[in-house]
Amino acid sequence: MHELRRMRPLLGTFVEVGARGPNAAQALDAAFACIAAAQDRWSFQDAGSELSRLNAAGGEPLAVHPATVRLLRLAAALMRRSGGLFNCTVGGALVQQGVLPDHGGPPALPRGCAEDIETGRRWARLGRPVRVTLDGIAKGMAVDEAVVALRQSGATAGWINAGGDLRVFGDMVLPVHRREDDGHMTPLGALRDAAVASSRVPSPGEASDPAFPGCLIGPPEHPPRPGIWTVLARTAWRADALTKVAACAAPADREALVASLGGRLLMQGEHAT
Amino acid sequence: MARSSHDWCLFLLPMAAVASPVHASDYLTVPQAQVLLFPAAKSFAEQTLKFDDAQRDRIKAAAGVRQRTGEQKVWRAERDGQSLGWFMVDEVIGKHEFITYAVAISPDGQVLGVEILSYRETHGGQVRDAAWRRHFTGKTLADHFKLDDDVPNISGATLSCRNVMDGVKRLLVVHKLFLAKA
Repeated sequence: MHELRRMRPLLGTFVEVGARGPNAAQALDAAFACIAAAQDRWSFQDAGSELSRLNAAGGEPLAVHPATVRLLRLAAALMRRSGGLFNCTVGGALVQQGVLPDHGGPPALPRGCAEDIETGRRWARLGRPVRVTLDGIAKGMAVDEAVVALRQSGATAGWINAGGDLRVFGDMVLPVHRREDDGHMTPLGALRDAAVASSRVPSPGEASDPAFPGCLIGPPEHPPRPGIWTVLARTAWRADALTKVAACAAPADREALVASLGGRLLMQGEHAT
Repeated sequence: MARSSHDWCLFLLPMAAVASPVHASDYLTVPQAQVLLFPAAKSFAEQTLKFDDAQRDRIKAAAGVRQRTGEQKVWRAERDGQSLGWFMVDEVIGKHEFITYAVAISPDGQVLGVEILSYRETHGGQVRDAAWRRHFTGKTLADHFKLDDDVPNISGATLSCRNVMDGVKRLLVVHKLFLAKA
């Protein structure tokens, strides 16, 4: 039985894939191909990605891959169910802040709502001039799709860690640590057949570190709270999306809200203030 | 689908705290990466490019990033006397990471693939320590595949791979200036 692991720079970070099985090498290739395809489809930075073309389509329907339809639908559903704490239509605001590149076109609304995203079987359309940014959940979805690719290639167990969005499957437990702000590692536990993701919200006025470029904005009445937010879920896209919900939720509702959306808040991320 | 909290114990098991300041992995040796990136090649002809100050300035001007060292080792991937492209190994020494990676570049200057050979992530000055430089010294994958030992299963703020992508850009410039046929 072969076990292999490998790492490549993808999705703007370092992606590690491990696989156990008779065709581990082919399984790794299939997983990386899957992640590269996700990058080509869902990168906001790349003006030629399917996502960028959707953002630039001026409200016209655009033919997109079924995986893009699936991801947009999951994102819109979570926007509704989280009362807007998760919001993937904040690309306009992030472009205004200079966090994301401006690929031109008419000025966008800073943020939109779930109803702005319309999808059909193989098409998508933005009802208003919003910019969709799928960053975190796209990374999570890439991980989830790559897990499917590993399995289809005969891997009996394995894992993928895409810059902290990580998922493990099969007969394998993966010890997971969390990198804290001061660099020390907190053991989270041994992960089995599930996913973990973290998002970091910097403190107000904190100088941005280009090594950790993540940026999160919430609804005006629920700004994200500084800290590192870590969520356990069965899939990586959900774990990643729920880190945003946890960061923006009112402290009293936070744990219950994350639980009601299918995740578990692992550590209180909020900085002591 | 919501789950009650006790279900989650199945998915995240308690783990003893291991003093593990070093999150480090070796993925591939140089020969392994060569075979992976150029599966059709029969041989790899090694040579060392040496750069004077003026050449280093030209690299920086074209790539936007500094050529740190005065030389670059390159391998020409060959099959039956034909060049399939170039294989190069480079290092990134960042604030948080020390990474060795390999790039395959086609004869006409396209990136065929990038593989991380060795990944060390830490904080502060540790990565600059000489001890960190004992990477990929003839190890095989099987030697260091231990799930519970120094594996970077880290969640947290996402570390950017920009340093490596800048390095790849610089190696493309090196290829264009010194290796591509006119």
